[in-house]
Amino acid sequence: MHDIVDLEGRGIPGVFVASREFVEAAATQAAALGFPDVARVFVDHPIQDRTDEEIEALADNAVDAVLDALRAD
Amino acid sequence: MTEASLSPLEPRGLLPDGLVAVVKADCPTCALVRPVLEGLGAHLVSEDDDAGLERSYHLGVDTVPTLLRVDGGVEQARTVGWSREQWEALTGVAGLGGDLPPSRPGCGSRTQDPGIADELVARFEGARLQSRRVELSAYEDDAEAMFERGWTDGLPVVPPTEARVLRMLAGTTRAPDELVTVVPPDLVACTVEKVAINAVMAGCKPEFLPVVLAALEAACTDEFNAHGVLATTMPVGPQLIVNGPIRRAIGMNSGVNVLGQGNRANSTIGRALQLTIRNVGGGRPGGVDRATQGNPGKVGLCFAEDEEGSPFEPLHVSRGFAPDASTVTLFAGEGPRGVVDQLSREPESLAGSLAGCLRAVQHPKLARRYDAVIVLGPEHGHVFRDAGWDRARLLAALEERLQLPRDEMLQGAGGIAEGMPPDRMGDVTAKFRPGGIIVVHAGGGAGLFSTIIAGWANGTTGSHPVTREITP
Amino acid sequence: MKVLDPTAERAPATRERAARPASLEGRTIALLDISKARGNVFLDRMEELLRARGLAVERYAKPTFTKPAPIDLRHEISTKCDLVIEALAD
Repeated sequence: MHDIVDLEGRGIPGVFVASREFVEAAATQAAALGFPDVARVFVDHPIQDRTDEEIEALADNAVDAVLDALRAD
Repeated sequence: MTEASLSPLEPRGLLPDGLVAVVKADCPTCALVRPVLEGLGAHLVSEDDDAGLERSYHLGVDTVPTLLRVDGGVEQARTVGWSREQWEALTGVAGLGGDLPPSRPGCGSRTQDPGIADELVARFEGARLQSRRVELSAYEDDAEAMFERGWTDGLPVVPPTEARVLRMLAGTTRAPDELVTVVPPDLVACTVEKVAINAVMAGCKPEFLPVVLAALEAACTDEFNAHGVLATTMPVGPQLIVNGPIRRAIGMNSGVNVLGQGNRANSTIGRALQLTIRNVGGGRPGGVDRATQGNPGKVGLCFAEDEEGSPFEPLHVSRGFAPDASTVTLFAGEGPRGVVDQLSREPESLAGSLAGCLRAVQHPKLARRYDAVIVLGPEHGHVFRDAGWDRARLLAALEERLQLPRDEMLQGAGGIAEGMPPDRMGDVTAKFRPGGIIVVHAGGGAGLFSTIIAGWANGTTGSHPVTREITP
Repeated sequence: MKVLDPTAERAPATRERAARPASLEGRTIALLDISKARGNVFLDRMEELLRARGLAVERYAKPTFTKPAPIDLRHEISTKCDLVIEALAD
């Protein structure tokens, strides 16, 4: 998340993608960085033991939310 | 033991009449006297709950148990620790604590615990502060956090915690919510509290705050024109000259390296003004501040006059203030430039050197539009003192030597395009407007040097020096 | 630590998002891999999806997920790309 915060500071809109395990940790870290509203998208957990097809499906399901986070409302 | 004697008191309300005892759980003496207190029917204030701790803080208790006798809601007497003799005298009851030793010392009050004192100040007095609180997380380095929020001038600042700001506010009798002035460029109403926050960040001590407040008031006058001084492409910034008893009181430097680094008051007071204009007024380099090159003094430049060794009356006296008044004079100045004259023993000769260096203020071929400050070094000051010259005599000598002829000053003269427009030149022109040179005396005792500080434009759209009295 | 705001308080106390473009057309998107296992599969697919939508994509990877990206990498992203997606934390 530090990278996104740094790049946002350079004027590069960013979003990070994490598994749902990270929802709380992300909120805490965002607040800690003084950037509670940092853009983030969550995908289903787990990741590690999934097949390639399953992980690709996660990307298919997340891409719209990810692009929305990079566009103006 | 009744419930009433155990219920916490309103922290700031009147004390109940009778006996009040401030205790804490982790205190053997408090435990020892508990039966005695019960027998006396004393109201107990326990430091282990928040209301009790606050009450203890406001009562100024530093040892527990503290036993108070109250009448009419007001404390009449108190004693600390256990002493049969003192308790009997205070309460008027004989035969207290039959099986107790004659006396036993108390323990430290929780209000004195390390780390707690500041927290309590902030907790109980913090309501007086109205500024937004900004929470820095435990993961943020506090020094980095100041930089990341854009609150600094490129150098580190002291994080303005509530405790530090409250301590700073103790340096003035003015209330935190009192309006000081309206600060350009954003024209923000600035309170004493906001100045105090920036003064903490600058590294000021509380006793410096009145100087910062007076300087801000002076800077934001129409006469000084802080907005113009900020927005110009010229290299000037506000510079502060301090006079009067406050110089010694707060330990300012008027001697060796007076314009340089090393003295906390000199270094931080000017910086507090700069940070306030930056943070409250919104005036930042690259924003409203468009200085092409600027000068190092823009981080803050503040010094005290050496009045005691001066050949002349103090600067503030020359500007109409009482000698025992403390004042700050604001001047819109560039980087200081040195004047070397190690041979002049006569005042006319030294005046000639100063005039020669003054000729080049802004440009040798420009006149009247710019003021200047001469910081007269003490060894140069001796030349005038020994000759019995006063300030007026020096200024007259300079004026005489700075009558500049048309054929040298005109645009194009000497193959130099810059210069005076023909319609604004008589046969001669004075380099400076009347009153355009300020002379102040400061510096170390050794060295035949003085300093010239060139000013910004004067005139209706420019800046004029402003002197303001410093009040507590 | 709590500090008092030294400013005129006209801006929010927290950082706000950088301005987003109205449309992503013609923009270059950086895909930054935090280098946790299997993340590359996710990002490969994300790259495919973005290219299919006509978007330009640049791929980057951090040396390790345990630290922020090296400054050179951040600089490169900021000069070559308009937007960034960082993935995949688990």
